[in-house]
Amino acid sequence: MRLSTLGIRNVTRSRFRTVMTVLGVAVAIIAFVMLRTILSAWTQAADFAAKDRVVTRHKVSFIMSLPGKYLTEVEQIPGVNQAAAASWFGAKDPNHQNEFFSSFAVDPESYLAVYDEMLVPDAQKTEWFGNRTGALVGDSLAKKFGWKVGDKVTLKGTIYPGDWEFRIDGIYTATRRSVDRTSFLFHYDYLNEWLRKMRPQAADSRGWITTRIDRSQGAAEMAKRIDQHFDERDVQTMSQDERAFNTSFLGMISAILKALDIVSVVIMLIMMLILGNTIAMGVRERTHEYGVLRAIGFLPKHLMTFVLGEAATIGFLGGVLGLGLAYPLVEKGMGRFLEENMGAFFPFFRIPPETWVMAMILAVVLGLLAAVVPAYQAAKLNVIDALRNVG
Amino acid sequence: MAEANQVQMDNDETRKQSGAAPKTSTPVIEIKNLSKTYYRGSERVDVLENLDLTIEEGSFEALMGPSGSGKSTLLNLIAGLDSPSSGSIKVAGSDLSKMGEGARAKWRAQNVGFVFQTFNLMPVLTAIENVMLPLLLTNLSSAERKERAAIALKAVGLEDRMKHYPKELSGGQEQRVTIARAIVTDPRIIVADEPTGDLDRKSAAEILTLMGKLNTEFGKTIIMVTHDPAAAERARVTHHLDKGQLAL
Repeated sequence: MRLSTLGIRNVTRSRFRTVMTVLGVAVAIIAFVMLRTILSAWTQAADFAAKDRVVTRHKVSFIMSLPGKYLTEVEQIPGVNQAAAASWFGAKDPNHQNEFFSSFAVDPESYLAVYDEMLVPDAQKTEWFGNRTGALVGDSLAKKFGWKVGDKVTLKGTIYPGDWEFRIDGIYTATRRSVDRTSFLFHYDYLNEWLRKMRPQAADSRGWITTRIDRSQGAAEMAKRIDQHFDERDVQTMSQDERAFNTSFLGMISAILKALDIVSVVIMLIMMLILGNTIAMGVRERTHEYGVLRAIGFLPKHLMTFVLGEAATIGFLGGVLGLGLAYPLVEKGMGRFLEENMGAFFPFFRIPPETWVMAMILAVVLGLLAAVVPAYQAAKLNVIDALRNVG
Repeated sequence: MAEANQVQMDNDETRKQSGAAPKTSTPVIEIKNLSKTYYRGSERVDVLENLDLTIEEGSFEALMGPSGSGKSTLLNLIAGLDSPSSGSIKVAGSDLSKMGEGARAKWRAQNVGFVFQTFNLMPVLTAIENVMLPLLLTNLSSAERKERAAIALKAVGLEDRMKHYPKELSGGQEQRVTIARAIVTDPRIIVADEPTGDLDRKSAAEILTLMGKLNTEFGKTIIMVTHDPAAAERARVTHHLDKGQLAL
């Protein structure tokens, strides 16, 4: 028997209480890991952005369109290798009313040239390029809605009302994590045809322009050059490299991200209080035993070690259980679901290695911190008073 | 008897190792002009007043007296659990009145064995583990600790209950484990606070017989607080305390 034997046996002494506390710590760890992973996944799209792409939009707001002729002009700017325009469409599948997915009207050939990480079989690509009502969808979206190449689908327009009929000509996959695999892409000509009839003033306009630039030019320099080109026009532009563009989206939800960050810390503090309460109860119940130990020669430092060791053990067990459960629940379950259903926000939902380490360290360290006061109280017990205590 | 001799040999060896004084007929406890005062709020309570007492090594002495007479306080002072308000108390060659709490704790571990009324065993440890507990504060190896604890348990007749938890033992058996724990470090003094208070008559008699053996066969100095005249009869000397002073 060693000194640690007594500490370990004390952990299993009130099994129900220990199990409940370990479960409490585990749940807190799962919640912490989940929130930290959400935060991490949300910023992944920005982190994995291409360094040689610049996005140009209306200077006032993202929702305002650019004149169509800007696309041709951007293509002419020195340093621009390729440019592609896209317009937000916004549509819903009547069979999946509550499911969100992004839909864009694009120029198919130039769009795939600029986003060359989107992989489409050549035959499907050719088919899509030649079909005005053809659509290219991400593999996650196709899987989710059960779409196959050749299927005819009808979407309900939200910004552009009416029933929009498409044929699925291709399904894309991606080589880069930042690519949303739940998007629905179709010919801009199809949309523009409708615009000319129904909203002539909006015809030929484009939502934003993405350019592939010469790497030697530098994204920031190119963004500046594009904006300078349109500086004297009625519609001025704001260009950013892709990472900054994606980050500006995050800026819109920065309050939510901050809240998640704070909640993740609060959860760990709650865990600490739960653990502290359990340890304090244990110390109170064992006052008499601590008195006996002190009487037979144990020093205050020994009692502190017992109490702190017990708290660290419970924290460790809760941490291990929490992380063990977090992997199937957060990464395999929730992560898989979010990647397939909310790929636009969570293209790569994996628990980052630093979160694993941080969660484990926090479980043990906060456990120790929670036990500091009870351990101090145990160490400061008066031997005679403790021996008189009958619990 | 062979086992008892084995314990005695081990005890003598431990004493040599720990540097403790060999047994002599000299006083092991010398108390001079000892006073202990407590304060209950602003009220001063003089528990012991100018008490003088000398106890020879190897004696078995009982402390009796009514509740509040100061016998438990005196026992706590002798055991080094408390410090006096004034006067001096020398036990086993150490002046406890000049020692701090940390030094007294180390001194207790080497010189005093405790037997409590309510046994006070650790419920999560087996009998042998409870007996080994004080040895964790020594430099003995794990095997040596186990060996010594087993010998101590044999000495109190519990060699067949070594792996039993306290809840699996009777009151008398629990108290015998407590006695084994008290003697396992080979202390010079055993202090017993109402050791038979929670036991039936038969078990109480067995415990007193065992304590008598520890005194006569192993030469342990035993100081016992008791309310029970039958228990006090087993002691060679009985001191009566009344209002903090020894009654003549």
